[in-house]
Amino acid sequence: MKTQALIDMLAQGAGPAPRALPLRRLTPALAMGLVLGVAASAVLLGTIPAALWLQPGPWMKLAYALALGAAAAAWAARLGRPGMASRRAGWAAAGVVALMLVLGGVSLLAMPASERLASLLGHSWAACPFNVLVLSVPALVGTLWALHGLAPTDGRRSGFAAGMLAGAVGALAYTVACDEMAPAFVAVWYSLGIGLTALLGAALGPRVLRW
Amino acid sequence: MPVDAPRDNLEATLAPLWARAQAGDEQAYREALERIAHRLRSYLRRRMQSLPDDLEDLVQETLLALHVQRGTHDPSVPVTHWVVAIARHKLVDLWRRRGRQDALHEPLDGLDDAQMPQASADEGPVRRDLSRLLDSLPEAQRQAIVLTKIEGLSVIEASQRTGASVAAIKVQVHRGLKRLAEHVRKTP
Repeated sequence: MKTQALIDMLAQGAGPAPRALPLRRLTPALAMGLVLGVAASAVLLGTIPAALWLQPGPWMKLAYALALGAAAAAWAARLGRPGMASRRAGWAAAGVVALMLVLGGVSLLAMPASERLASLLGHSWAACPFNVLVLSVPALVGTLWALHGLAPTDGRRSGFAAGMLAGAVGALAYTVACDEMAPAFVAVWYSLGIGLTALLGAALGPRVLRW
Repeated sequence: MPVDAPRDNLEATLAPLWARAQAGDEQAYREALERIAHRLRSYLRRRMQSLPDDLEDLVQETLLALHVQRGTHDPSVPVTHWVVAIARHKLVDLWRRRGRQDALHEPLDGLDDAQMPQASADEGPVRRDLSRLLDSLPEAQRQAIVLTKIEGLSVIEASQRTGASVAAIKVQVHRGLKRLAEHVRKTP
């Protein structure tokens, strides 16, 4: 095929380019991931008593997950569009995690030394990262699908961002079932679960996000 | 990025053209693609000196990718940066594939005439029978080529006939023709 013929064919009836592509891919992906994640969380793990929602704990988790999710979504959307600067968005996501770690650290320092370890470990530290990871899986499928519909030129990094975003959705879903309220617990074990999801995304990215 | 930033004013002429093309101006799109193709050829030629035979293929591959991905161009990004980012992605992909295949290739230059495949008179024409060639393609590609190149429909008509999107028809035609060409080249 001659290049000119290809150009003619591509231009013929091309119409306008699709607009707001990242939003149009990420929105349904995240909605699907969130609904499935919350449903799985409620069905498999059970929901926390309604009275707990009067405490700041669950809201702190929601705020953390939403802030991290927003930063990771912006990062992923940038990585999905060739030529777009993405470094600052990546640092913003890292900044949210760092802020949560600082909050957790400060909360530990504010309590008597004898209570610190119990507060950090809670009663479910070993299960938490794993639960966040599992509840992130539907969202991870969604975010990888969304990015695949864009044009990520760095598969590993894009997979990592997609995983981080999915991990934030998984953390959101786990909030429904988790009765740990200590900031240090959230800072360490939730972040670890989100990090595991991000690593899973980075492992899958180069293969899944090829185009 | 500055290393690859074009030194001339392609961006200045391309940007307004591209904005119109993205809004749906077919003529502007054609012109933008022509300018981009020209730039791609010189951009890729400098980086493909070891693979000159693949140059035009990769130019086309990149143009096709630009078309399929044109929704991913963000207006805040210079068009040339977006083009170069995609061209580089395609180039790296080609190198990666070649790196894997090269071990299997034997250059023809080293062979003498006796080792070259001979065309024999009695089986030549039949082998290249068009319909047999077309049958070797995946159904979607075969259909797209038959409709647009043999029955002479426009891509839009072909899209209405098959229910596939216009963009999909274009991709199938390009992939199919490329595959046919490879087929003809390989079959002695």
